Order: sequence, then C-alpha cells, then structure tokens
Amino acid sequence: MIFEIIIIALNSLKANKLRTFLSMLGIIIGVGAVIAIVSIGTGTQQRITARISNLGSNLINIRRGYRWGRSGVSSTATNVFTLEMAEYIEKSCPDVKVVLPNNQGSGLLIKGENNIQATVVGTEAAYQEIYDYYPRQGKFIGPDDLKEANNIIVLGSELVNELSPDSNPLGKSIKFNYQNRTLLFTVVGVMEDKSTGGPVGDLNSQAYIPSTTYMNKLANSNYVSGFTAQARSSEVASEAVDQIEYFLIKAIGDKDGFHIMSQDQILDTINDVTNSMTLMLGGIAAISLLVGGIGIMNIMLVSVTERTKEVGIRKALGAKKKDILTQFLIESLALSGIGGVLGIGLGYIGAYLIAQFAGWPFVVSNLSVIVAFSFSLLIGIFFGIYPAMKAAALDPVDALSYE
Amino acid sequence: MLAVKDLSKVYNDGKEIAVKALKEVSFTIEDGEMVAIMGPSGSGKSTLMHLIGCLDQPTSGEYLLDNEDVSLANEKQLAVIRNKRIGFVFQQFNLLPRRSILHNVEVPLIYAGVGRKERRVKAKDVLEKVGLGHRLDHYPNEISGGQKQRVAIARALANNPSLILADEPTGNLDSETENEIIDIFHDLNEQGHTIVLVTHSKKVGHSAKRILHLLDGELVEDEVVA
Ligand SMILES: Nc1ncnc2c1ncn2[C@@H]1O[C@H](COP(=O)(O)OP(=O)(O)OP(=O)(O)O)[C@@H](O)[C@H]1O
Ligand SMILES: [Mg+2]
Repeated sequence: MIFEIIIIALNSLKANKLRTFLSMLGIIIGVGAVIAIVSIGTGTQQRITARISNLGSNLINIRRGYRWGRSGVSSTATNVFTLEMAEYIEKSCPDVKVVLPNNQGSGLLIKGENNIQATVVGTEAAYQEIYDYYPRQGKFIGPDDLKEANNIIVLGSELVNELSPDSNPLGKSIKFNYQNRTLLFTVVGVMEDKSTGGPVGDLNSQAYIPSTTYMNKLANSNYVSGFTAQARSSEVASEAVDQIEYFLIKAIGDKDGFHIMSQDQILDTINDVTNSMTLMLGGIAAISLLVGGIGIMNIMLVSVTERTKEVGIRKALGAKKKDILTQFLIESLALSGIGGVLGIGLGYIGAYLIAQFAGWPFVVSNLSVIVAFSFSLLIGIFFGIYPAMKAAALDPVDALSYE
Repeated sequence: MLAVKDLSKVYNDGKEIAVKALKEVSFTIEDGEMVAIMGPSGSGKSTLMHLIGCLDQPTSGEYLLDNEDVSLANEKQLAVIRNKRIGFVFQQFNLLPRRSILHNVEVPLIYAGVGRKERRVKAKDVLEKVGLGHRLDHYPNEISGGQKQRVAIARALANNPSLILADEPTGNLDSETENEIIDIFHDLNEQGHTIVLVTHSKKVGHSAKRILHLLDGELVEDEVVA
C-alpha cells in the first residue's frame, strides 16, 4: 500500500507543476551551491598543490625575518644571509643536498623597441636541478659565469614570446633597468615551459643571471634575501629543516631573524587555508538549504489547508492517520529529493563551467554530493513532518465540511 | 444489525455555546432494512448519520454495529470500519476532482490494501453496476450531477459493505435524476445491503419501508410505511 501512497503523493505534485518547481527551487540552489563550492575549493587546491609540487621535490625555503622598529610601527627586513652561508649549510648539514642563494628584483627588460616588466633572478647552475627546469635552447649559467660575474642572461619562455617573438634571441643583447641602473646582457639561453605557482611565482616570466652579477653589479650588496635548499629525500626533509635551523640560530643568534619552511609545510599551510575556506563557504551554502526547507514547509502548510476536504474524503473512505501522514510526508520528501537531484545536476554544471573558465581541474567530491543530498532529504522530513501531522490530525467531519 | 441506545451528541460540550444536536436517541435497524431519516433542518439528521457512519463519536450512549460496541473503538479501528463495513454517500458527492472516475472508486480499495489488478476489476464492476462502465477515464468535472452521485455510490460499494449510508443523496439533483438514484438504492437493498438515507422528500421517504422522524435532536416517531 505504501507504493500506492507514493503514487498518490507524486500525482499531487504533478498536478501543480509550477508550484512544485518553485517550492523545490531553494533546495535546488542550496544543493547546487554546496556541490559547486566544494568543487571549486578542491579544484583550486589541486591546482596549487600541483604547481607547488611541480617546482621540484623536497625543497626548503629560507627567508629573512623582520625586525620591528623602536616604535613598533615600522619594520625592516634583516640583512643576515651571505653567499658563504649557503656553502656552510651545504657542507655542515648532512641531510641537505644543495643550497641555492635567492636574489631577485623587478625591473624593465628592454630589447630594441620592446620592453617588459620582469623579475630577474640571481642564481647559479644548481637552480636547474632543484627546480627540474632546463633550457630548451642555448645554455644555463655555468661555473665560469659565476666566478667572473659575466653579463649573461637566460630568458623564461614567456619573456621570449613578448620580447622577440619572431627572431632567435640567442647571442642578442638585452638591457635591464633596475633601480636607475641599466646593465647590458647577452642572451645565452631560453628556458623550457613550466607552469608553477606558490612562493616562487611564475618561472616562465622570469629571467636568470649569475648571482655574483646580481649582487656585485645590480644590487651592490653583500647580502642575499634567502636560500632555497633541497633535502636529500622526502624522508629526511624534516631533519634537514632542523639542521638548517640549528645552523642558522648559531650563525645569526636570533630565531626571529629568519623563517624556514619545507615544501610540505607550505603545502600543509595552503591546504589548511583552502580547506577551511571551502568548509566555511560550503556551510554558508548549506544555510540556503535550510531556507529551502522552510520554503517547503510553507508550501506544504498551504497545500494541507487547501486539501482539507480531500483529507476528509480520504478519511471517510477509510484512510488511517498513518496513511494521510505518509502521503504528505512523501510529498515533502519528494520535493526535497527531486530538488536535491536537480541541485546535484546544477552543481555539476556550475562546477564544470567555473572549472573551464578558471582553467583548473574539474573535480566533484562524492562526499559533497552524498552529504548535500542526504541533508536535503533530512530537511524534507524535518520540515515536512509538521504539515503532515497537521493533515493527519484533521477531524473527518470538520474536514468534510471545509469549503 | 445496528442498534443505538440513548445516543447523544453535544457540540462544544461544557461551553456556553453548547448545542445538544442529538438527545438520547434509541432505535434498532435489522440487516436488509431500508430506512429513511426525516426531519426539519437542524433536527440532527446529519449528526446521527455521522455517528452511525463512524465519522464522529457520541458524547454519550451506545452504538452497536453487528453486536460490537463501536463507541469503544479507537481511531484506527474506526477507519477500518469506515473502509470495509460502511459505504457513505454525501449530498455534495465529494469526489476527488483531479482524479479519474475509476481512481475515485479505487480509493477505498487502496486503503483496504487490495492489489492493483483486482482493484481495477472491482472498481469497473461497481461502476458498471451503476451504469457508468463507459466513463472510467473521465474526470468528475466532465460528468453531470446524477452521474457524479452514481460514481459516489459505486465508490461506497467498492469494498462491498453491508451498510450503505446516504445523507440527502438527491438534495442537489432534479426530480427525474432523483428517481434514478433512489431506484439504485432500491436495487442495492434488494441485493441485501442495509440502506439508511436522509431525505427531505416525502416521496423518497415513503419509498423506504420505515421512516425515523427527528425533531430538535429527538426521535419523535418510528413510522412503518404500509
Ligand atoms: N460542528 C458543529 N459545531 C456546532 N454545532 C453543530 C455542528 N454541526 C452541527 N451543529 C448543530 O447541530 C444541530 C444539528 O445539525 P445537523 O447538521 O445534524 O442538522 P440536519 O438535520 O442535518 O440539518 P439539514 O437538514 O439542514 O442538513 C444544528 O443545530 C447545527 O447547528
Ligand atoms: Mg444535514
């Protein structure tokens, strides 16, 4: 008989299609929003993770700390890192494979009539290995270039597209204007394409020069802004971090003078942030599900009042309280259930379109679909039970005489 | 057999606006009888019909249906009695407007738990009995008042109850249609159904074998028609 009652309930919904659709709208949008938002969160996270992992493996990032000024308002980056430190760390920390000084500055690259704002990185040969990033044309910075502080430059692939799209850039001269200083470089290489993100930025739109050239001729400074180290393996990554930290505390004597973070820690931090963002936004979307439930309750109450006579007739013909209760409960459950299914469709479409538009992977987590759908069913029961009980409790004679 | 003893119904009991709609009414109706209930408007006819139809419960008194004290039954048991043992026909027809005629007649069978196929067959059967076998897929708004009342009678017959109650079944019909409907009740009575019907029409009343006269909630005359 439950089957018959389901048919009766579905027929009532079919009889009033527009109203049925409108009362489901809240649930449709709610479920859709939850699924789309969770998908966007996962998509962003996967993209960031992929880009950071793409950088290279087991990297450790070491940055300068900040010292607060006397007033507590201004702060200055501490100049503590020297080129020699990189060598010391490499030698004295057994789990560290290689240490690379980081120097970079932003200025104008000029070639003939073309110019572009770009970041120039002062580095050395190990950069290639650490980032698994090699020239597709020409060569990278060699040991001699470093020793002699040569004026050579290697361009990221994106820069070549901008500066000399047609001709071969190798051997050509290029000017770099940095803080009112202009230096002439010879292009010796062009790097391959590599999409990355996170703390190092987009490798493709950077240019690379020897770190000695950077320090002596461009920045005129004996200090570097940080180091990138690589641990020997992922198993010893945290030991490597500890060793570097131990060394730096001894060398600088101040734990606040620097920041050290492994790639895993960076990933963890980013994942933490995106997870809590996703959770928060998903929660807000879930509130709209609740509002949708109130919409269903509202329409069900109207429906019960409108159909008082029908309830009276059914009771006179032998319907039990339970039968009426089931009929109306199934109606609200069907509203929220069908709304939930349509919402899942909407969520998929929304998430797909956004992923296409933003260019990140399209992922819909099964968990978000299951949670959103079950939640909508629960809402159907929760907000449907009161109107259904109201209908079931109607007195047959009163209900029959209702006009 | 149905028997009521000192049956009373007070609306809004205990309040200032209390109405004594039925005052200690007693009578017995044997199986196979056809009884008319008559009386002026407000005399308590519908109230009495609701009580013997198990749609409502008395304030005091006894109601025995087939020797079973119905005034002690709970809501669920009353629903089963309404479903299986009593067929109710209303003045306002009370069909479900959005459902086909066939479905309307199937409703009591659904609540009786009769399976789909058997239900179809039974519903068609009773509709043929009232002469509407050719209108199964029509909707109530597509047929005349007399036909609606035939559907309602078919619906009352669906579970083949021994007792058929009709509250002014011809109140909304012209006299020609009235005759047709009353003929159906006579046929049913001949087939063994006990019939109790409320009417304002002397003609209809006298076509029954017995008339109960109500006045101000009291049974004033139990007339046997010659
Ligand atoms: N639900 C109710 N609440 C209060 N009073 C009621 C209710 N139903 C009926 N009454 C009163 O009870 C009395 C009997 O009403 P009932 O409907 O039984 O009369 P009736 O004989 O069927 O009249 P009619 O011929 O007009 O249908 C009337 O005075 C009526 O006003
Ligand atoms: Mg009446």
